[in-house]
Amino acid sequence: MDTLVAQLQRQLRDYTISLYHQGFLDDQFTELKKLQDECSPDFVAEVVSLFFEDCEKLISNMARALDQTGNVDFKLVGSSVHQLKGSSSSVGAKRVKGLCITFKECCDSQNFGGCVRCLQQVDIEYKSLKAKLQDLFNLEQQIVQAGGRIPQVDI
Amino acid sequence: MRVLAVDDNPTCLRKLEELLLRCKYHVTKTMESKKALELLREKSNMFDLVISDVEMPDTDGFKLLEIGLEMDLPVIMLSAHSDYDSVMKGIIHGACDYLVKPVGLKELRNIWQHVVKKNITTYKKNISPSPQLLTPSESHLAPSGSKKRKEKVNDSGGDEDESDREDEDGEGSEQDGDESSTRKKPRVVWSQELHQKFVNAVQQLGLDKAVPKKILDFMNIEGLTRENVASHLQKYRLYLKKIDESQHQNMTPDTFGTKDSSYFNMSQLDGLRDFTSTRQFPSSSLLSRSHLTRFHPSVYSSINLQGTNSSNFNNHQSSSNSANPFGTYHRTLFPRSQNVNLSPLEPLQFPTSKYMGDFKTIGDRATGGSFLDTRMSFGSSSTSLPSASSNNLMLQANYTQPLHIASDKNQPCHEANSSSLNMSVHGLPRFPSHSWQGSLRTTNRFPSSCLPINHVFSQDQVAYPGSGLGDCSSLVSAENPGGEMQCEPQLLGAFMNTLDDGPKWEEQNCNMVNNQFGNVEYPLAADNIVFRDNNASRSKGLDESLMMSPIEDSATTINNSQEYVGKFTMLDADQMKHSGKPENALVVENQHDVFDDIMNEMMKQDENNGLVSAVATRFGFDSFPPP
Repeated sequence: MDTLVAQLQRQLRDYTISLYHQGFLDDQFTELKKLQDECSPDFVAEVVSLFFEDCEKLISNMARALDQTGNVDFKLVGSSVHQLKGSSSSVGAKRVKGLCITFKECCDSQNFGGCVRCLQQVDIEYKSLKAKLQDLFNLEQQIVQAGGRIPQVDI
Repeated sequence: MRVLAVDDNPTCLRKLEELLLRCKYHVTKTMESKKALELLREKSNMFDLVISDVEMPDTDGFKLLEIGLEMDLPVIMLSAHSDYDSVMKGIIHGACDYLVKPVGLKELRNIWQHVVKKNITTYKKNISPSPQLLTPSESHLAPSGSKKRKEKVNDSGGDEDESDREDEDGEGSEQDGDESSTRKKPRVVWSQELHQKFVNAVQQLGLDKAVPKKILDFMNIEGLTRENVASHLQKYRLYLKKIDESQHQNMTPDTFGTKDSSYFNMSQLDGLRDFTSTRQFPSSSLLSRSHLTRFHPSVYSSINLQGTNSSNFNNHQSSSNSANPFGTYHRTLFPRSQNVNLSPLEPLQFPTSKYMGDFKTIGDRATGGSFLDTRMSFGSSSTSLPSASSNNLMLQANYTQPLHIASDKNQPCHEANSSSLNMSVHGLPRFPSHSWQGSLRTTNRFPSSCLPINHVFSQDQVAYPGSGLGDCSSLVSAENPGGEMQCEPQLLGAFMNTLDDGPKWEEQNCNMVNNQFGNVEYPLAADNIVFRDNNASRSKGLDESLMMSPIEDSATTINNSQEYVGKFTMLDADQMKHSGKPENALVVENQHDVFDDIMNEMMKQDENNGLVSAVATRFGFDSFPPP
């Protein structure tokens, strides 16, 4: 019979793998995890939260820019997208990054409708990822609370 | 290793920081490029490397790049853009590396290489050959006659602790930096070795076919850019042209073929300034720079400015020269000696700093002077003065010998020599001073020795590159087109003493000469200081360098005589081999040992006027101790 810890650990592993498989995360996230150690135990959480803050800020900037009907500053939107692309690729937010590429193209072609759509999608994606990662962290916490060790998940 | 990380994206920045920490680097991070600039400016020594994002809202990443480059810090660009153009732009601007986000640990693990590379490059450039050579740039770029000697190193490498790296002004600026065209260009020091390689390359390729790219490949010098070579080549060509123009005299076959020596001469002259300083040459013994201008190109080549170590002077073995009576004296200095017709050289305008013109004059003067074997390196006793009748401007010889002589009494001679050398150097076409350094120096040694030439010495004129005439009692004053030669008495005397027969110096007003040189007659043409080597017998293959007759007839040429003042270091008479027929060219055949001494002496002298150095350079003294 599995102990609680073992169960939780298995759950964590499965969940992590699924996130990768669904394309939410990529190897950069793995890299982030590698950088986490005793010296910086909450590194991943820290970076990820920074990322999400970034997302919020950039998305609101873009929304504001796109809201200027008739006078949309696509360059501004474009640079924000670029920023978002950078952050998302750094943390391994694969889907977000993918969306940014499309988004950038819309900005370059000044496709207002496309930009708006992309923006909406980005918004959905980042929130979704945020939720999932939150779950992941919760699982980890539970494991720790149950006295177990967070397992290394090799993708 | 201390890294400054700049990125406006907090997520990326945090990750970057962690990565760098993981690599065991010390990290300072900032999101604002303004803050980064501040940090760099205030504490430039605090960082070894800068990593910066390219796209930042408040500042362009390239600006940071430029500043980092100014401080010789390696800068790595970071960007989410991975397209070819962006990467190219980064590299062109001088970035050491261009990383694409997301950055991985393995990429950052190796960035220390850039720091090491820079340090090594800097180090290498710092210890580049001929460190004692004068700044080529100055001497030949900005003919200012000032003989500042600075060691210029190629400033490509850069590190905060490389305090001794200096930027060359002249040469360096023209040499242009290494890689990127937009960054501050480190200066390339065209040392003798480097110049020699360059010349070899050009010769191999053929002057007509010598294109910078090929030369660059041929030379195969790391860190040298095509631009460097191109500008050097341009100067070289100008130099050759000048030489050709001025060289219409009979050039003895053994004139030096390459321009090398001349260049080196020039530089040497430059470097020899210090010689003059210590000598007490009466200012009157300035040799007209004009004399120096007429250097046969070959002269230059022979003047292997090997280096300017006076101490090495004697040891300088000229590859090509036969036993040079002058021992260390390179006859390279004066291929011209053969042409030393001490005919009145046309007034050369001495470029303010360049001896170039002067050298030419000297060359012209060489009236069939025996040119020392062009290959004669300085220290070598390769002075085989070609012809007995050669009135070689044994400038070179002068250097060696007179130096020795000078020790006795040619103190002033040395000065004069050096100063005269300076003058002569001035005649030389500008060429990367670097290469000249050696030669210049050597020539400087013998300003006076060689020159009893009718050159007009004026007080403020550079002393004629030693015609090896002992000391001229009165140097020809510059203003005196008649070529009143004022020789340093001492110089002449010393010179005379050492000379067996004493060179015959014909000199218009050179009392000394008559007195001291015995049968030395100085055929001072109107304003030519022509040293005739009356003692044909003495021609022992005196280095042509001994040709002292850079003295141009035109007093006017003695403009930049400043250096030459009184530097008429007369070469020891013994040293001067005077060919029988005193013609314009005075060929002083100096016994090498004498010259060596003289050179050594001269070397020690601080250059009070450029003469010494100029002369020395002319003679291709290779060992010129830096002032």
